[in-house]
Amino acid sequence: MKLTVQHQESYSRGELLLRTFFGWLYIYIPHGIVLLFVALWSAILQFVAFWVILFTGRYPQSMFEFQEGMLKWSLRLSARMYNIADGYPAFGIKSTDEHTDLVVPYPEKVNRGLVLLRLFFGIFYVYLPHGFILMFRAWFVGILIFAAWWVVLFTGKYPDFMFDWVTGQLRWQFRVSLYMMYMTDTYPPFTGDELPGEDG
Amino acid sequence: MGAYFMMFATAAMGIPLPILNLVAAIIYYYVNRDKGRFVQFHTLQSLYSQIPVTMVNTGLVVWTIINFVRDLDFTSFYWGYLVMAAVVNLVYFIFSLVGAVRARKGLFYYFLFFGKLAYYQVYRIRPEQGPSTFRNRPPGQ
Repeated sequence: MKLTVQHQESYSRGELLLRTFFGWLYIYIPHGIVLLFVALWSAILQFVAFWVILFTGRYPQSMFEFQEGMLKWSLRLSARMYNIADGYPAFGIKSTDEHTDLVVPYPEKVNRGLVLLRLFFGIFYVYLPHGFILMFRAWFVGILIFAAWWVVLFTGKYPDFMFDWVTGQLRWQFRVSLYMMYMTDTYPPFTGDELPGEDG
Repeated sequence: MGAYFMMFATAAMGIPLPILNLVAAIIYYYVNRDKGRFVQFHTLQSLYSQIPVTMVNTGLVVWTIINFVRDLDFTSFYWGYLVMAAVVNLVYFIFSLVGAVRARKGLFYYFLFFGKLAYYQVYRIRPEQGPSTFRNRPPGQ
């Protein structure tokens, strides 16, 4: 998986204020409503994909692309929520974004044993440890987002280390989601950094 | 109360061999179960709840030893399991502490799932002790 968020040279203060005070109206509610239905469809597809993988050992490509598209959409939206990207996030599964990108390599084979393991014990060995650490990390990232908001407001720049932490939070969450959605067999690492061997 | 502290008392020994916690809990249960149903309930609840915790800890110890002996990498999967085991132990620790305090005060305290299990096992009405069994009947009956 390769998750990238472009660190812009400068950030628009006007957009920052607009997103903060009216973002719920023109970004989050419209996107949230549509994404809710998309997520419901995604859950149905995941259920179907589970059985297909169990019998064939392959993730149906069209379903995989839909899930990838939905995750890209979530990333576009999250980047705006965390103020690490400007611009209006595009609607749609196949839409692209100039500031964010997510590439998930299609696995030719999916380990069926791991699929069952994730279904029955995923809550214990994936959600519990990662959720526990991500929770603490999220508190810190929340503080950083708040601090970065003021920095962007006064300077128009998003400090490097704050940007890396916020992007890292997203990257970590997406890795966990991908693993639990059977889209990769690689157990998510306990880091938000981009790993050397990670490809798109 | 002592039943819950058995876990902590044996924890030092139990780190290299987690099964010792369970053995201690079993011995403690059989030694103390005749002291009344209340004591039996708490010791049994402590014993039951130690079974999954011991299994998780044993898995961790075995995995760690294998990694060291075979000089394998400590993968993300391993660290995930380690954090999970830490959280499970933390939850167990909190429940045990509350259980011990409540038992000391002579009160019941029910763990998730295991509380109900222990309660029904200890307080169920056995056929030989059912309401139809009368002793010391009045003369002539």
